[in-house]
Amino acid sequence: MEREIVIPGQLLSENKTDSGPGTYVKDGKVYSLLYGVKNTKNKISVIPFTGKYIPSPGDYVIATVIGVTPSNWIFNISSPYDGLLHVSEYPRRVESDKMSEIMGVGSSALLRIKDVNSSMKVELSMRDRGLRALDVGRVIEVTPTKIPRIIGHGGSMVSMLKKKTNCDIFVGQNGRIWINGNDAEMDLLNEAIELIMKHSHTSGLTERISKFLKNEDDVVSEKDGTVLEDDLVVDTEDKYEIREETRRKVDTLLDDDN
Amino acid sequence: MQTKHWRINMSDKPEKFIDENGLRLDGRRINEIRPMKMEIGVLSRADGSCYLEWGNNKVLAAVYGPRELHPRRLQKADSALIRYRYNMAAFSVEDRIRPGPNRRSIEISKVSREAFEPVVLTHLYPGAVIDVFAEVLQADAGTRTAAINAASLALADAGIPMKGLISACAVGKVDGQLVLDLNKPEDNYGDADIPMAMTSDGEITLLQMDGDITQEEFKKAIEMCKDGCHEILAIQQETLRNKFSKLEDVEISDDKENNDVSALVESELVSSEEDETSEDLASIEKGEMEDDVKDAETEDEVESVEEQEDSFQDVDEEDIPDDNGEDVPEDDEETV
Amino acid sequence: MSNESMSILKKDYIYNLMLKGKREDGRTFDEIRNIDIRTNVIDKAEGSAWIKLGDTEILVGVKVQVGTPFPDSAGEGVIITSMELNPIASPDFEAGPPKENAIEMARVADRGIRESGAIDLSKLCITEGEEVWMVFIDIHVLNNCGNIQDAASLGAIAALLTSTVPGGREGRGEDMPMPIRDMPVAITLVDIGGEMMLDPGLDEETACDTRITIISNQDGSISGMQKSGDGALTEEQLLKAVSLACQKASELREAHLLNI
Repeated sequence: MEREIVIPGQLLSENKTDSGPGTYVKDGKVYSLLYGVKNTKNKISVIPFTGKYIPSPGDYVIATVIGVTPSNWIFNISSPYDGLLHVSEYPRRVESDKMSEIMGVGSSALLRIKDVNSSMKVELSMRDRGLRALDVGRVIEVTPTKIPRIIGHGGSMVSMLKKKTNCDIFVGQNGRIWINGNDAEMDLLNEAIELIMKHSHTSGLTERISKFLKNEDDVVSEKDGTVLEDDLVVDTEDKYEIREETRRKVDTLLDDDN
Repeated sequence: MQTKHWRINMSDKPEKFIDENGLRLDGRRINEIRPMKMEIGVLSRADGSCYLEWGNNKVLAAVYGPRELHPRRLQKADSALIRYRYNMAAFSVEDRIRPGPNRRSIEISKVSREAFEPVVLTHLYPGAVIDVFAEVLQADAGTRTAAINAASLALADAGIPMKGLISACAVGKVDGQLVLDLNKPEDNYGDADIPMAMTSDGEITLLQMDGDITQEEFKKAIEMCKDGCHEILAIQQETLRNKFSKLEDVEISDDKENNDVSALVESELVSSEEDETSEDLASIEKGEMEDDVKDAETEDEVESVEEQEDSFQDVDEEDIPDDNGEDVPEDDEETV
Repeated sequence: MSNESMSILKKDYIYNLMLKGKREDGRTFDEIRNIDIRTNVIDKAEGSAWIKLGDTEILVGVKVQVGTPFPDSAGEGVIITSMELNPIASPDFEAGPPKENAIEMARVADRGIRESGAIDLSKLCITEGEEVWMVFIDIHVLNNCGNIQDAASLGAIAALLTSTVPGGREGRGEDMPMPIRDMPVAITLVDIGGEMMLDPGLDEETACDTRITIISNQDGSISGMQKSGDGALTEEQLLKAVSLACQKASELREAHLLNI
């Protein structure tokens, strides 16, 4: 599939109704705002090669405590904006002076973004099922723009990764991935993730990674794409890892690949 | 303990800057720019970076941002602050410069920042800061314009949304003739020095002038500079495109709802309703952008004045040296 | 990404790797990252070196100018070393006057050069008591991926070895090569959970309690040392570190400086 690299200020369309994310309209024409790849599904949009994570309500994030106040934990969410977890959003009742014992500076947690106001004040919550402080495992950092690749078509990639490596995986929209298993399994999963990052543009990636994890050298041709889809068991228990909205959005947009 | 300064000796001034064949001291024609090459993504820690060589200039630009801005009192409620720091390495010129900002570098930093403000979409990142650093590693006339050309690409490399790239070049006057992209002797001994930065549409975002010219000459200088900037824009564009020599190397994400990009929508519009389809969001986003641009076009002047007022805080107080800015010795000084 | 607040999970990860004899990037405890040095890269400087140690990147420039000597060393040249932890090099570096880390590193680098007698200062005298050569060593950090200290020191020596004293240009005799008579090399180790590791990467530097830098000369003698960080070292650790540092220094000298 053709992918065109575009740059800021580049003319993308003479028709202003084509304007999608990453573009702007001037004198009725559409121009790119970003250095990235042009995407022409529905509207014309530009996906940047790199960029910071900008928090959005509903997103799942993996965060690190950078401060504790009498009523809030302050979290680094790998963004220009920090997040606040108010003590009332913690699943249990906590005394002010006990807060640091539960999570102190340096602690990591799985959280969800409850709200972002116009001044970019980010409110976090730990009340959803599966959200919790993280005492074990590793956190891997990747460019936020590539997170959908880790999730995959209908959650296919992350499910396959879980199955093949026997690890727990939680994917944060903020470019962080938490994994847990035994050391060898985590090392393997880490390698797989690095491979995904490197080849995120290619199609047939899910099988390719699956083969890698099986230790096979052959690269499966694209025709075989559908075969492995049957093998995949989409884990319906994993609601907290892939929210429905993301799954649907990812589905719509990964039509041509995998 | 003293160092002796290297003084410009007027007896070193060349007799002629342009010979009978219309060639300048370095063999160029009057409207020819020096050879330029650039590379992006050269620093691993910075969010975006660009290394540029232009004639004997060597400049490294790096961008960090958007990122958190401290102290809080500098934060702008509805947009990101842009900070631009032009800095010359101590060893970049013939006569060593004391490290740290001086009055000249502070002025250049200010006007360079203002060259980018019209095109960077700062309203997408309220309260944050976009830091642009331009390091001159080797200076050979035209460092401020070189820095701007590199900074443009570093911003693009960092994924900062911009209406377009900024390109910059200087025009001067020697032997009564306007020349493009001054070299050192032309800079030191010429009759005028006019650095300019422009958008791809030819709108001027940086203009300084030093010397003696007529209004007619100035009109011609603008045209000459436009051509120079167009040439530079082409090099900038090629550098960005050629980073990926074959499509194989292109790394992309298919998710249109890339978080960075979806920030184009005002946060109220991204509701927690999970029923919103990508299609709906896209049309909202498009509407948003159109309005933004309309506003920008009609309120350009007002906007830019307001931003300028706010951004006088760009220079961190720590940046101003205690002795109130020792000037770089005038001789051998980079004036472009 | 800023490294200032490292998560506990990350620290644990590095610690656990150490327990298994491993490091994040797969190196052994006494392995130094790949080094790349290019000299004479800045025309306007009398000497220069562009060095990459892993992904840590530093540009060192040497400027030589005429100046007046210190009263108590009337017949000797003067060395002035400065380092900028340039904000381009890391999200954790701020613009402004050097802070304690930068100052410490610059002074340690300077000490190594000075105490080793690497530069023969007596040869930098023009007229005793009146004019001497001033050697400015400016260390410009471009990208921090750990161990700026060693990269800076190595870069400084490489730049000095290829520097020229500009007698001709300044009208004080002829040009001459910088009078170098030794090649001090700095080697830094960090203590992670009791184990000493050479050439710390960025995460190792952040996770460690203690850092020790040892600068040694061609004959194996020591010309500088500095312990940094809020931990403590046992005598045994220290002596082992010194021995390892001297050995590694001579390997680096051979690989990168002798044929520069």
